[in-house]
Amino acid sequence: MESLALKLIIGGYAQGKLDYVLQKYHLDESVVWDGNMPEDRLPGGDTVIINHFQSWVKKRMMCEGCPEQETKAILARYQNCIIICDEIGNGIVPMDALEREYRELVGRLLIMLADRAMTVERVICGIGQRIK
Amino acid sequence: MMVFVIGGSASGKSAYAEQMALLLSEGMKQQKYYLATMQVWDEESKKRVERHRQLRSGKGFVTIEQPLAIHRALETMVCLGATALLECISNLVANEMFSEGTPKPEGQVVQKILQGISVLNQELANFVIVGNHVFGDGILYPEPTEKYMRAMGIINQEIAAMADRVVEVVAGIPITVKP
Repeated sequence: MESLALKLIIGGYAQGKLDYVLQKYHLDESVVWDGNMPEDRLPGGDTVIINHFQSWVKKRMMCEGCPEQETKAILARYQNCIIICDEIGNGIVPMDALEREYRELVGRLLIMLADRAMTVERVICGIGQRIK
Repeated sequence: MMVFVIGGSASGKSAYAEQMALLLSEGMKQQKYYLATMQVWDEESKKRVERHRQLRSGKGFVTIEQPLAIHRALETMVCLGATALLECISNLVANEMFSEGTPKPEGQVVQKILQGISVLNQELANFVIVGNHVFGDGILYPEPTEKYMRAMGIINQEIAAMADRVVEVVAGIPITVKP
């Protein structure tokens, strides 16, 4: 189920992932849909960059949405989809059960996205390494 | 052949480690063992263990529960030429350090686990070990947790030095760290 259109960008916090994507793929912020924003409208056209994917997942989790289904719907909606997500699973297991669930959910979604993506890049210090 | 597989939570490291154990033991008649280290105490850990059981089912692993004293797995295994998958170092370190009353000293925990692993490695044909990358959140933790992290940091480094291959798994993608 590889989607030619999907690119996945992962990396730690504040590594310059969005700038990397905008520069590399010659896109501007009008196509960015920010998971951090309380309400952000999906751009028209057939290209979307989903930034802070992990924040959106958390929001959907908290209001009992179904992030997996909703992600698949977005992938089906856009011909070119770039998803940017922080790596959040590389720490001590949190004491809080919801935090554990959140890490688990983001991790599983990333595995699903990486499997479908044409390319996966990991960004560190603003520099991307292609890992798929 | 010893392979160390490391990754964060829900990175796909277990599925990859399992595949690796199957690949290494392909065509071999000897037994495949799964050395389980998780202590089940609540609904969540029960689910976790169940998910991993499902992943493994039908693949011919014999499970040995060994949450402490990993070397004692030898007593149950028929080792010559066998393959073992040990999952995982983070549970093993936590169990050794915190199971009884006051936490055990780092050095003691490190030595016990590394000795156990090296003894097992001598007897096994293939040994796949799963580690947990818990070192990347930049948070300062209370001393017992930091002690736990330091011990595991040393153990991971020593296992990586012993291993023929070290692979980090990220979003289900294996990245070779030591070829």
